[in-house]
Order: sequence, then structure tokens, then C-alpha cells
Amino acid sequence: MTLLALMRNEWRAVWATPIIGLTVFGGVLFYFFLYPLPYVKQVPRDQPVVVVNLDGSQLSRRLERMVDATPQVKLACRAHSIEAARDIFIREKLAGILVIPEHFYRDLLLGRRPTLSYAGDASYFLVFSTVLEGLAGAGSTLAAEAKINRMLVSGQALPLAAERHSALELNLRSVFNPTAGYVNYVAPAIFVVILHQTLVLGLGILGGLENEARRDGERAYRQEAASLKLLVVRTGLFTAIYWPLCMFYLGFGFQFYAIPRHADFLELNMVILPFLLGAACFGTCLGLLLPRRELAGPIVMFSSMPLVFGSGFIWPLEAIPAPISAIIQYIPVIPAIRMFLGLNQMGGDFGMLLPVWKQMWLCVALYGVLAWVLLRMEKQR
Amino acid sequence: MKPSSTHLLRREVDDLVGDPWLLSLVTWVPLLLAFTMWWIFSQGIATELPVGVVDLDKSRTSRALVRHFEASPSLKMDDTFLAVPQAISALKAGHIYGLVILPRGLEEQTLRGRPPRVTVFSNGQFLLTQKVINAAVLQAQGTYTATVETVWNLASVTPVLDGALSAALPVANQTVPLFNAAKNYTQFLVSAILPAIWQMMMGIGPILSLSAVHRKHTLSGWLGGTPVRALLAKMVFLTALFWLHGLFSLTVMYGGLGWPMHGDWSLLLVAQLMTAWASTGAACLIFLLTRDAARSISIAVVLVASALAFMGVTFPVSDMPLAARIWRSLIPICHYIEIQISQANYGAPVEMAIPQLAALGLLLLPGLVALALAPRFAGPGRARSGEAAA
Repeated sequence: MTLLALMRNEWRAVWATPIIGLTVFGGVLFYFFLYPLPYVKQVPRDQPVVVVNLDGSQLSRRLERMVDATPQVKLACRAHSIEAARDIFIREKLAGILVIPEHFYRDLLLGRRPTLSYAGDASYFLVFSTVLEGLAGAGSTLAAEAKINRMLVSGQALPLAAERHSALELNLRSVFNPTAGYVNYVAPAIFVVILHQTLVLGLGILGGLENEARRDGERAYRQEAASLKLLVVRTGLFTAIYWPLCMFYLGFGFQFYAIPRHADFLELNMVILPFLLGAACFGTCLGLLLPRRELAGPIVMFSSMPLVFGSGFIWPLEAIPAPISAIIQYIPVIPAIRMFLGLNQMGGDFGMLLPVWKQMWLCVALYGVLAWVLLRMEKQR
Repeated sequence: MKPSSTHLLRREVDDLVGDPWLLSLVTWVPLLLAFTMWWIFSQGIATELPVGVVDLDKSRTSRALVRHFEASPSLKMDDTFLAVPQAISALKAGHIYGLVILPRGLEEQTLRGRPPRVTVFSNGQFLLTQKVINAAVLQAQGTYTATVETVWNLASVTPVLDGALSAALPVANQTVPLFNAAKNYTQFLVSAILPAIWQMMMGIGPILSLSAVHRKHTLSGWLGGTPVRALLAKMVFLTALFWLHGLFSLTVMYGGLGWPMHGDWSLLLVAQLMTAWASTGAACLIFLLTRDAARSISIAVVLVASALAFMGVTFPVSDMPLAARIWRSLIPICHYIEIQISQANYGAPVEMAIPQLAALGLLLLPGLVALALAPRFAGPGRARSGEAAA
């Protein structure tokens, strides 16, 4: 079969199967909106907390107002005891509890170090850290004020007291995601996963479909074409289809969700090439192994979970058991996530990321050879 | 001739055992996946996160400060960087998650009582590690300043240690992580991931099962003369099977792994039964409407694969936009997980679960619709009676 005829056949096979077009274009477009959807507000705000004010002084009421004024939390209600607060907390589904102890104001004046207690619902980690940020932020502002006041009382000048209230000024900066937004955190990696998984799924469906046809006795062009030629045409076609889709995600998509982009255009394309080739070879292998097309969906879906959580952008690589990271390193999406995040989100230097890039090409080689061997074996049968 | 219940049950068992893919889906696949996910998070707490230090002061004070950072189990300080640019590129390459820059003149300023400004960069692209690092850095700063200022105050304000400490830190604070005291990530996330895997299995299983009979006997032939009974048998069988899976995962979480369970077991079991029926019913309805394995699987995958993101465990439901809340209300497990958390973690009163139970109640309907539609797709009982004869 000539190269041209093969290309025509592949092109027709892809477009003649609505489910492939639906998976590739429909999936890529729909998931583009679906997966960032829960997080579009970026950070949780105004988490409701209940306050137990056992002090009732002017100062403690000021603390209440300061807490309420933070963007992270709002005072939903008051309780008279810790037990009552606990009940309200569960009944009203609140996020935190602030306890101001008895004689808070008096103890502060007397220098007895009163203790403020902050409780948050650690069933939801993001909510917990948000609540803590709000409560502890307000608390430490109050403490700093108290300290400055005391220094003023002991005779220091205000500017000096304001400057000297802490032995160390900490300038804590969030880099690469300055607002610590959740879309900025999730979307860049999830987009790479979506592109990879829909590509693999599309090829899995195509391969499964051919296998079904073959079982029914139809002779498909896959068996007639030379193995290497078929592999090149098939992976080339899907790479060509996905290149604009990558551009859509990394360009328009990032713009749409206001996600920072730092990568150089040329370097980004140098990453897209091995990413798409690797995914296409991987998908071709999957397609050759599946007896029926509908099995591709569940396999791709189940595999997404360890891939997302094992890739290192949620749970640190240092904490992931070595055997798991050793295995998933050879799925093209894993080095791709590191590469895309490193270049585009963190503005990393291509030279320093070179080992990861080589690993992407290793995936291309690995699955390219495997697909070729599988195609040859199929022909000999 | 009406097929007997035992016959229908046997047929279901045969269907399950006869299809290796379906059998895998309800046996080793979820088990392996659940184990893998548990293993990934088994460390529970992120520790020893690499953080770079550039010490431009190289004094006793700066080294003391680095030791305060080193004392935190969350951090692993890497002080091999000689200059800021070198450390920044390591941060960009992801070799370190954070960077502490100790300025020149740190010791001198501290001795003169002028607070030096220490800059800490933390990588916000890795939100979880960033939160761990920030908390550790703030804590280290707290202990460091308390030590330094107490010494200052002993010299200048009061010779009494308590007084000096209170002048340094006038307010003490105490943080209480409720319902997950150790802030264990395994307990937090895996208790949501297991139900998410369960939901995936329940969304796919019925479709694989129906498509297997469709392939063998055609759907109409399989539904035969008693379509409602045939479909009901499959739905009841699969619901019961999935219920067992749910029970098993609860046993593992709250028995085997020993996570606290403060609530009502019977309520959890009822909620699981409803979730299993709702998922089975919806999957069957999707298959009946498309009568095509690939298409119905695609629809089911779109719904169930997104379950974890929409559960509201990683990001609060109250901060999701309306469209996201509508989408999640279609997924049975999103209602179930709220019951599981409020029961297991809070030990909340049973009546708190009424809204979720009501939502699950509504989601029982697709299954009933599927049963009502079954006769439409039934044909002459050719294939089924042939099977009964054999």
C-alpha cells in the first residue's frame, strides 16, 4: 500500500467513526470547561466560623471584628460555651471555631500570655488552612498591636516600636502562582492529562474497532500496510490533530483562565512534539491490545487517578513510594507534566530540564518499538 | 413461561463469570487501584521537603536561624547554594520547593535590635507543599523570634523569664485540627478516593454487563418475554454486588486502617445501597437509550470520572459556581460522600443527612425509568428461551 493510500485510509477511519471525533474534539472541548469548573473562584472565601467569647471585653470584641474583616473567614454566629460551639459547628456545617479565653484582656495587660484557640475542620484540608490563615492572621495582628502598645507605654517612640516589634521580619512570597489560586494550581497539569488521555482514548477506540472488524472476518488495511509505515502515519496523524488542540489549551486556554505563561514559544513546541508522539505510540499499543473499542474508556479512566496523584504536582514526589514513581515515569504524561509545568509555569531553564525532555523521547522510543513489534506480531499470526 | 428467580440469578452469575473484563472490573481492578492510591498517600504527612538556603551573612546568628528551620520535620534545608541566581534556577527547575534568603548584615542588625528582613520564596504551583512549607517557616520564625526577643527583654525589660517571654509573645495560640488530629493526608484524601473508585466501577459495570448480553443474544432477545423481570434481576444483582463492595471499603477504612468512625453504621449502609441502585439504574438507562457499548461508556465515563473533582473534598462546595453544583448533583457519590464525612468524622445526628438522602432518593428514579422503558426494547424471547432450553 502506498503511503498516500495509507494516509487516506487512516484519515477516513478517524472521521468515519463519530465516537473518535466526539472523544477527541468533544472531549477536549468539554473537559476544558468541566475540570476547572469547581475551582473558578480560585480561593475559598468567607468560611463561616463560630466564636466563643468568654472574655467579653472591648478588646476581644475588636478581635471578633478583625476576624470578620479578613477575606478568609466570616463570623457566622456566637456561642456561650465550647460545647455549644461544637454543636452549632456540626449542625450549621461551619468551618471553624475561635475561642477567646476568660480574662483575655486582663491577662494581656498583666503580661500573663493568654491563649487564643483556633479550631478548624480538618476533614477538608483547604478549608482548614484557609480558616487558620484568617484566624491566626487576625490574632497575630492583635498580638503585634499589643506589643507595640506595651513598648510605647515603656517609653519608646512609635516609629521605633513599630519597627522593632519583631526580631525577624519575614517576607513570605508565593512564586509562580502569586495568588495561590486553585485553577492556576490544578489546570496546567490537568490540561496535560486531558490532552494525553483523550489522545490515548481516541487511538484505543480506533484500535479496538479494527480488532472487532478483524474478528468479524473483515480484512482491514492495518494488516496490509507495512508495520513501520502504518505506525508513522497513525502517530503522525494524531500528532497533527492534537497539535492545534495543544495550542488551544496552552494558548487560548491559559489566557481564558488567566494562568501565567512563561515558556518560550519555540521551546514549548519542542516539548509538544515528544509529548504527542509518545502519547500516540502509547495509544497505538493500547489499541492493538484491546479486543473491543468500549474497553478503552474504562482503562483510560481508571489509569487517570494514579497518574494525576502520582505525577508529583499534588502530593510531593519525595513522599510517593519509589516503586510507583519508577513505574509511572514511563507513561508519557508524567515527564510531560513536569516539563510543561517547569517551562511554562515556573519559567525554568530548558537546559536544567533536559533530563526530563530526554525521558519524554525515551517514552517515544519505548512505545514506538513496542507498537512496531505488536504490529509485526499481528501480521505473522 | 416466567423464568424463576433462581434461574435469573444464576444467569446473572454466569454473565459475570463469563465475561473476563466485567469480572476484572468488579474484582482485582478496583482492589489494585484502591491499594495503589492508598500506597501513594501512605506516608500521610509530607515531610523533608527540600528547601534551599542562601546564607549571605554566614554568621553565628544566621546559622542559628537555619537550625531553627532544620528543626522542622517538614523541611529539609539544602544550604549548598552560593548565590541567589543559582538557587532561583533550582527553584524554577523544581529541585527545591522553597528558598530562604538570609541577607548580609543579619547578625549585626539583630544585635542592634533592628529586625533583619528574611525573604522566603515558596512555589505556589505546588499548593499543598507550599502550605506545608509556609506553616513550617512561620513556626520556625515564631520560635526563633521568641528566643531572641526573650533574651533582649531579659536584658532590657524584665529580669523574670516569664515576663520576658510574654513581652516577646504577648498572646499564645493553639491550633486544633478537628476530626483529623494528625492532619493525615491519607485519611483526608483516600477516604474520598475510595468512594470515587467505587463510583467509577458502578458507572461502568452495568454497561459492560448489558453490552455483553447485547453482544451475545441482542438486547431485545435477552429482555425476551419478561423484560422488566430480566432487567430488574440484573439491576438487583449488580446493586447487591456493589453494595458489598461499599461495605468492604467501609470495613477497610474504619476497621482495617482504623480511621475514626463516630456515626451511624446503618445510615451509611442505607446511603450506600441508595448510591449503588442510583448508579446502576443510571448506567442501565444510558445503555438502553443508546444501545451501543462505546457510546454509553463514553457518557458514563464523562460523568463518573469527574466525581472526585466535584465531591467538594478538595475544594469546598460552597465556593463552587452554580454550574458546578448542578453537575455534581447528578453524580450519586457526591451526595453520598457528604453523608460519609458527616457520619464518620462528625458523628452528626441522622436528620442532618436528610437533604442528601432526598437527593439520592431522586437519583433512584433513572433506574425506575429504565425498568419502565425495558418493554419497549424487548423482542420475541427467541434467544432467551433458547438459552433456557440449553
